[in-house]
Amino acid sequence: MSLNFNRRSMLRGLLGGSAVCMGIPALDIFLDENGLAFADGAKLPTRFGTYFWGLGLTDTPTGGSRWVPTKTGAGYEITPELESLKAVKNKVSVFSGFRVIGDGRPNIVHWSGHAAILSGQAPAATNRMDGASFDTRIADAIGTGTRFKSIEASASGKVVSFSTRTGTSYSTPETSPIALYTRLFGEGFQDPNSPVWKPDPSIMLRQSVLSAVTDQRAALMAGVGKADQIKLDQYFSSLRDMENQLAIQLQRPEKCEACVIPASPVEKPKAASVDVVNSNTKQMARLLAMGLACNQTRVFNMVHTPGSSETYVAGSSKIYHQITHDEPTDAKLGYQVETSKLAALVMQGFGEFLNEMDAIKEGDGTLLDHSLVMGFSDTGYAKIHSLENIPMFLAGGANGKHKAGQHIATKGEPVTRLSLTAMQIAGAPVGEFGVGAMKTARPLTEVMA
Amino acid sequence: MRKRISLALLAAAAVAVSGGVGMTALAQSGAAAPATIVKVATRRITESQYRNTIRDAFGPEIKINARFEPEKREGGLMAIGASDLSITSSGFEQYFSLAKSISDQVLDPKVRDTHVPCKPADAKKADDACTKAFVEKYGEMFYRRPLTAGEVAARVKTAQLGAAGAEDFYAGLKLALTSLLVAPEFMFRVETAEPDPANPKQYRLDGYTKAARLSYLFWDAAPDAELRAAAASGALHTKAGLDAQIARLQASPRMQDGARAFFIDMMQFEAFDGINKDPANYPKFSQAVADSAREQTLKTVVDLLVTKKRDYRDLFSSNETFINRHLASVYNVPYASAQEWAPYTFPAESQRAGILTQVTFLSLFSHPGASSPTKRGVKIHEIFMCEPTPEPPADVDFSKVQALDKGTVRTRLLAHMENEGCASCHRVSDPPGLALEHFDGLGQLRTKENGTVIDVSAEVEGKKFTGAPGLAKYLRDDKRIPQCLVRNVYAYGVGRPTDERDEDYIADQTKAFGAKGYKYPELIGQIATTPEFFKVRVPSGATPVPPGPPAKIAQAPAGANR
Repeated sequence: MSLNFNRRSMLRGLLGGSAVCMGIPALDIFLDENGLAFADGAKLPTRFGTYFWGLGLTDTPTGGSRWVPTKTGAGYEITPELESLKAVKNKVSVFSGFRVIGDGRPNIVHWSGHAAILSGQAPAATNRMDGASFDTRIADAIGTGTRFKSIEASASGKVVSFSTRTGTSYSTPETSPIALYTRLFGEGFQDPNSPVWKPDPSIMLRQSVLSAVTDQRAALMAGVGKADQIKLDQYFSSLRDMENQLAIQLQRPEKCEACVIPASPVEKPKAASVDVVNSNTKQMARLLAMGLACNQTRVFNMVHTPGSSETYVAGSSKIYHQITHDEPTDAKLGYQVETSKLAALVMQGFGEFLNEMDAIKEGDGTLLDHSLVMGFSDTGYAKIHSLENIPMFLAGGANGKHKAGQHIATKGEPVTRLSLTAMQIAGAPVGEFGVGAMKTARPLTEVMA
Repeated sequence: MRKRISLALLAAAAVAVSGGVGMTALAQSGAAAPATIVKVATRRITESQYRNTIRDAFGPEIKINARFEPEKREGGLMAIGASDLSITSSGFEQYFSLAKSISDQVLDPKVRDTHVPCKPADAKKADDACTKAFVEKYGEMFYRRPLTAGEVAARVKTAQLGAAGAEDFYAGLKLALTSLLVAPEFMFRVETAEPDPANPKQYRLDGYTKAARLSYLFWDAAPDAELRAAAASGALHTKAGLDAQIARLQASPRMQDGARAFFIDMMQFEAFDGINKDPANYPKFSQAVADSAREQTLKTVVDLLVTKKRDYRDLFSSNETFINRHLASVYNVPYASAQEWAPYTFPAESQRAGILTQVTFLSLFSHPGASSPTKRGVKIHEIFMCEPTPEPPADVDFSKVQALDKGTVRTRLLAHMENEGCASCHRVSDPPGLALEHFDGLGQLRTKENGTVIDVSAEVEGKKFTGAPGLAKYLRDDKRIPQCLVRNVYAYGVGRPTDERDEDYIADQTKAFGAKGYKYPELIGQIATTPEFFKVRVPSGATPVPPGPPAKIAQAPAGANR
């Protein structure tokens, strides 16, 4: 892929509405006098991310919920488990009542829920999806102009990511703030705001290394079976991403007003207690947000805790997962008290994540205003591994394309409708999504501007 | 003068020039050129296979500091999952930067003469002959077969560009080496089959594929020169030639590498990557303890099964092991040795028996803040008996299960027994785990939980036993234990799970394993000798193709090659 930006192609890109990081030269030439938007109406680039946490949120056996607001539409009320979203409430839409339809496939505990949200179909086996996760389609649409097509991070230290192109190989996430920092701002990072810039000649040589590999592609692919072909295609697609990355590094980066290179985080001992995971989440959020603001990537996939979450309150002998199953419903209060407390603690991670993105000023608003983050879990009510009422959220204004701050309540609509909505808002050219009973061409237009 | 790299050079670099077309070294090596070949599998190499290959090629001094893409467990083994895996973008970035780091180390001016088999005519210019010699020598190690003319030519071209750009022959060579190290032919084991001259309508694995299967099974490494020579000459297709190589592989101390890799896979040591213990509950836990525990178990396995060639089943009963200072603290025994590791035999009063009572097993299959008889029991069945436990029902009713703040975990688990949906599995999984309850979530000895004396009696299918020593005896006598090892060794070697068509074979091999006293090295050799080890299953969608490189389409732009 050739990415020889020159002034003319940059212009063409801008006027065609394609997103580039807003730069100082751009500011000078293209912005209206308020510096709010490009003179022709083109906006700052839209960024997209997924945010996953394990074990859902708490419902009550009698049909109530600790997280679903009673009010629908705009101005929903903050419920106990959504307390941490208070600060950004008007930028977050809540989706309740959505479910996974198995189409005869079993409920694979702590896997079916998010696998279906991401791939559009209830999976047949654990750790497998029937197709690519939808974030890759967004990355293909909006992520090819930055150094990284997407960045994955896991806050609990576990090597877990659900981003996949094959349904069997998953992206390798960064599992500590320091690793994430190194990936984004370590070797290969070019400060977009540095007054001096020289192309690194070694990059061109590294390109020649890759072309020697590509040259042998036909010979390698000859005589392979179908499954192997898919795998090798993925290999060559990864190689192309690397070529793209090198080509981008040969271009002078455009200036980014919001980009401030963060300080390197401090290495800390690994732990899985919820305070540590939340602290990692916050640090990673700060780094990811700066990675977006510095135009290193447009897409990210964040995992707070895996499906069968092992997080726990420090000092406790029981992990969250065990508590969700073992804890009886409190006779007076009508819900699982400890479980709900942990759910709210886990949601603090999400709240802080969004707060960090909202703290970065960019153009006429914040980074969050120019992003769309889809938050979701593996299950609804974790005690029974429910695939109904899986909590899902869309956060961020997506450059005005997301009518945020609403509560959309449905009775058993497929989760794929939200996946499709997210793809369309984020800018992926996708008209329908999902398989079988979860196939849909109907995005949730209520939240689309 | 030309320090700066011109744009023309960049353009040349972007479009690789095709290599020469002609008879390939690969095709020349076979006795008779087969009509068609088919690729039966591509298996991504593991981290240890990568490391061992680099060590074999350039020595142990080369530092490999990278994060490898996670492996995937399928049918009980990573070796099977490897056939499912590709390389993602983030993984490619890592391998690419690792390849560059290895090339920089190998061709460092201080050491490069030991690695480069020739001297360039002019160290400031490209030298195609010397590049070719270098690429052919190491390419054969990485690709596990001689390179085709096209594969060599592509690297010679890359080296030319690099040498011209930097006015340094070795700078060019670095690029050529980097290119070999990120090539899919290195990162994936490509298993190839050719028509069998004995049965023209059937396929057999080609010599190099057979060599790789043997080498990875015995040594967890790419084939060495002698094995590749046996592949090239066709000797591996003869009984005498195969037997000779098997005997050689078996006699080598490198069998230890093979055993380590196999047991790391079978015993699910990837769990160490995610191990967490709550510091309030287990103040003695640290990363050093986890690393030491892992090494203790591997040392025990290698010593018992490879060095001492003991009965495999002794793994469950023998108390001969090795400890270091970190482990001595957890096991609560004195450490008097001045060495880093010292042999140690647990006395009877320790209540320990075999590897299931080492910190590895006890801590890996527990919670961060507590032990878990269910996890331990499930893993005993899954890892050592090849009996995976079904996933729990999604909508199980836990209402009878109460929080544990007094009494022992046994009380809580008994609640499962009242629910038939739960009981069918927990009745099997929990008793072996309950027998291990005198060891907490880190593996420390205890006799009480929440002030209550822990009962470690257990009953499985009418057999009663008590505590870890009782469990050890029960497992040592269980027929599923050796059969599961046989199944795993075979599946590990061929890279696919066994199915009903393999059952007779597994039964026969288990019998032979027992007849020779359940010796692990014997088992490896015995399985590699059987035709089933090289059996070909043509994958769906594979179209046989003529051997050799297909017609080239890539062309260099005019004038790009200066």
